[in-house]
Amino acid sequence: MTGTILVAGLAAVGLGGALCAARRTFAPGLAVQSAGAALVAVGGFWALAAGDVLGAPFTSSFVPRLGVDGLTAFFLGTLGLIAAPALVYSIRYLEPDAKGRAVAALTACFVLALALVVCARDPLTFLLGWELMTILSAAVILVARAGGADARRTVFTYASITHLAGAATWISILLLAERGSIGGTQALSTGSGLQIAIALTALIGMGAKAGLMPLHVWLPRTHPIAPAPVSALMSGVMIKVAIYGLVRVLVDWVGVLPSWFGVLVLGLGALSAVGGVLYAIFQHDLKRLLALHSIENVGIIVLGLGACLVLRARGADTWAAFALGAALLHTLNHAVFKSLLFLGAGAFEKAVGSLELDRLGGLLRRMPWTGGAFFVGSMAIAGLPPLNGFSSEWLTLQSLLHVSAYGNLGDGMAGAVALAALGATVGLAVFCFVKVVGLVLLGRPRRDAVAAAPEAPRLMWGAIVFLALACVALGLAPGLLFGLLAGLAPWPAAAPTHVGLRLAGTGSLPTLGIALVLTGLSGSLVLLRGRRSAAPAPTWVSGQLVESRLNWTSAGFTKPLRLVLEAVLRPQREITVRTEGGVVQEVTYRGNVPQLIDDRVYRPAIRAALGGATHARRLQSGSLGMYVVYLIGLVVVLLAAARFGLIG
Amino acid sequence: MSTATLAAGAAQIVGGILLAPLLPGLVQHWKARLQGRRGPSPLQPYRELRRLWGKSVVTVEGASIVYRLAPAVVAASIAAAVLLVPAAALAPNWGVGHDLLALAGFLALARFAVAVASWDVSNGFSLMGASRDLTLAVFVEVTLVLSVAIAALVAGTTDLPNVIAGTAGTAVWSSPALALGAVAFALVVLAETGRQPIDNPDTHLELTMIHEGPLLEYAGRDLAYLQWASAARHWIVLVIGAQVFLPHAQGVWWQLALLPLVLVALCAGLALTETLVAKMRVLLVPRLLAVGAVVALLGIATWLVGTV
Repeated sequence: MTGTILVAGLAAVGLGGALCAARRTFAPGLAVQSAGAALVAVGGFWALAAGDVLGAPFTSSFVPRLGVDGLTAFFLGTLGLIAAPALVYSIRYLEPDAKGRAVAALTACFVLALALVVCARDPLTFLLGWELMTILSAAVILVARAGGADARRTVFTYASITHLAGAATWISILLLAERGSIGGTQALSTGSGLQIAIALTALIGMGAKAGLMPLHVWLPRTHPIAPAPVSALMSGVMIKVAIYGLVRVLVDWVGVLPSWFGVLVLGLGALSAVGGVLYAIFQHDLKRLLALHSIENVGIIVLGLGACLVLRARGADTWAAFALGAALLHTLNHAVFKSLLFLGAGAFEKAVGSLELDRLGGLLRRMPWTGGAFFVGSMAIAGLPPLNGFSSEWLTLQSLLHVSAYGNLGDGMAGAVALAALGATVGLAVFCFVKVVGLVLLGRPRRDAVAAAPEAPRLMWGAIVFLALACVALGLAPGLLFGLLAGLAPWPAAAPTHVGLRLAGTGSLPTLGIALVLTGLSGSLVLLRGRRSAAPAPTWVSGQLVESRLNWTSAGFTKPLRLVLEAVLRPQREITVRTEGGVVQEVTYRGNVPQLIDDRVYRPAIRAALGGATHARRLQSGSLGMYVVYLIGLVVVLLAAARFGLIG
Repeated sequence: MSTATLAAGAAQIVGGILLAPLLPGLVQHWKARLQGRRGPSPLQPYRELRRLWGKSVVTVEGASIVYRLAPAVVAASIAAAVLLVPAAALAPNWGVGHDLLALAGFLALARFAVAVASWDVSNGFSLMGASRDLTLAVFVEVTLVLSVAIAALVAGTTDLPNVIAGTAGTAVWSSPALALGAVAFALVVLAETGRQPIDNPDTHLELTMIHEGPLLEYAGRDLAYLQWASAARHWIVLVIGAQVFLPHAQGVWWQLALLPLVLVALCAGLALTETLVAKMRVLLVPRLLAVGAVVALLGIATWLVGTV
């Protein structure tokens, strides 16, 4: 039954993609695609709930096989849940011109490639889907940006980093296939060289695709320039498919990893979580800020994954399963609120043009539906109760606490440091989204286009509001899903299924009760206050006039944090004052928080690589005689090596 | 439900909702005495709440529903936090659970609501306070999470009634973990209650405000909600300090009987620090809180050394 639904859904996505290619059937094509995605969501979550295993089992041979098990079903469900509203949104967001039609058709291919990766049951299909996923998303961006020079450069960075790191994915998967361990049938012994090699290469290759620091540099460049629905799919689903790969290899296939590997994963997760949100705070462009937040959330997911690995190595199987459940739940939660925020940003961009944070303002009033849903998404990503981000972050905190509880001194301290990192991340995320909500939705409009912004078309805000409702629903009843997700662990572990999160050893999180108490109390306090109020007065600013030029900016609001963390962030600023006869005529200010990893790691590496290439080019003289000399030299070296028994 | 649970629940509600304004009142009263002034009576916060309750709220031109809802949301989330923190090792189930780590979420919601409201009225002074508050909150959150982690590790759970039971008595004090946790948590108490050296609750100068700044635009019942929330924060952190980090009795009845005395002593302690310590430069406060975080990490290390 679920198999039929899934196949029908994926076929509808393909059919819809084909229909999009023609102008007349553009909108129906997107509608068909979206209906297909909705079927995939239903089928995926149904299969997860029913515990269905469909199609072929995993095989290490190179014969193409497809199939669905619990983890695949969960990721298919997530894919459908995000793709369906994103595609409905596209009906009004994309123009039915040649470019829009190409983007719509490529989006269908992209969705199918993502489905291919998670359904693949043999190494060949998996790697095919993995590469298609990168190439198709790069193609969508190039088409949508009509091949502008900036876009080409960004896509080049994206393709080169994901391909260089992607080599590690190939090594990892091929080593597993060679050992016959795909599907976890042949357990690798803990701490063996082969196991570590597979796990490390997977962490590098898939971590780069997930946007894990320090291999994240492509992400904040690429996601902002894609069309909004594609950004939503990339941030919401594509980087999650990389998480799927990590879970498969590290949790399912390589057996029990030594605990130091889990600590390494924790370290990378903590770096990404704190680093991602820290740089996000200082961004001045909404979409770039959101892209950096994806790095933060991947960090949180990976913290859960690292906790799972350490706990598994320590034999705490129940909490290892809970940590896996926490990571997967946060995967879904992040997919929902991040795609909501990207779609919202796209709607704002459509309505007002540029998304420079200091030039927006007051959009909650102008665009109540889009703005309201964006507000909900911001609260969810900041991890505030009673929305979905809160429950999965709470679960991750609990998992990290249990790393300390079960570990020895080394693991325990790693758990404690990761706990501190997650605490800081949550605090920074609140800071960041207060800034976003304040600058985008509240206050007064900061330019004319914003003051006259029309509400987005109904299909667009409908898609965004749907995702906001999903944030609320997942926040109210995370327990139902959490039980299923913790049950996906390949070792036996009892996972409770309550609506809330009731776990032994914790004070439990009765999410429904929390939501009822919070809304009930707020509502009754509002009623208790009554409606009596004095005449409206202007904002009181110590007797000054309220002028729009006195509005606070993004840079001003984040200044205390920038000063406190000066030693780490190395912010740069440049102030020029032009005076004439002692009277100040003009003051210009430019501030920037440079990405230290770009400046300190990538720039020197690129320079060294280019320098090396210049030297290597000398070998390519172009004269035939020189090449004959090389050949003879090579033969001599090989003969000498054979003579002394080095080879052969 | 046993009598002890009922009594503990009643203490939690009466103390957290009704008696909370007494705590900042006591601090102010004793602070004045220590400084050689007569000072306001400890009941002054109640008088202010009554006065504010009779006044009408002020609507700010151009403000949206966010500004109007914020005080109610702040009061509701702090009230939910009051329900979350039990007064003793037993507590009725109020529907919000009793999880120590969830507490941070409610405090964050209140902070978010206030800060977002100051963007809504675009008041520069409010925003200055909000941005400082949020900056410090990052460090407070780290110290809070680490110090409660110590208590959770010692007690073997994050369920607050069990944490209170697990850290009761003198046996657990044989390891220095809880003592180090108490030092770190003391900084959290100072930060959450907005006391010197982190913030000066008596300031009337907008440029120096941290927690008071975002409240500048509010009046009437809105301000009453916000002031009550600030008082209830005293109750929340002081009760955790008294019943988790400081040595406390084993039985529920003893815990309930001793709680008022310990709270009064802690208020006197706050008054003393307010008198002895000057306010720090706001940019140096994170260093102080970071020291707290490091102390808490040391506490976790000593616990790990003690158990492994």
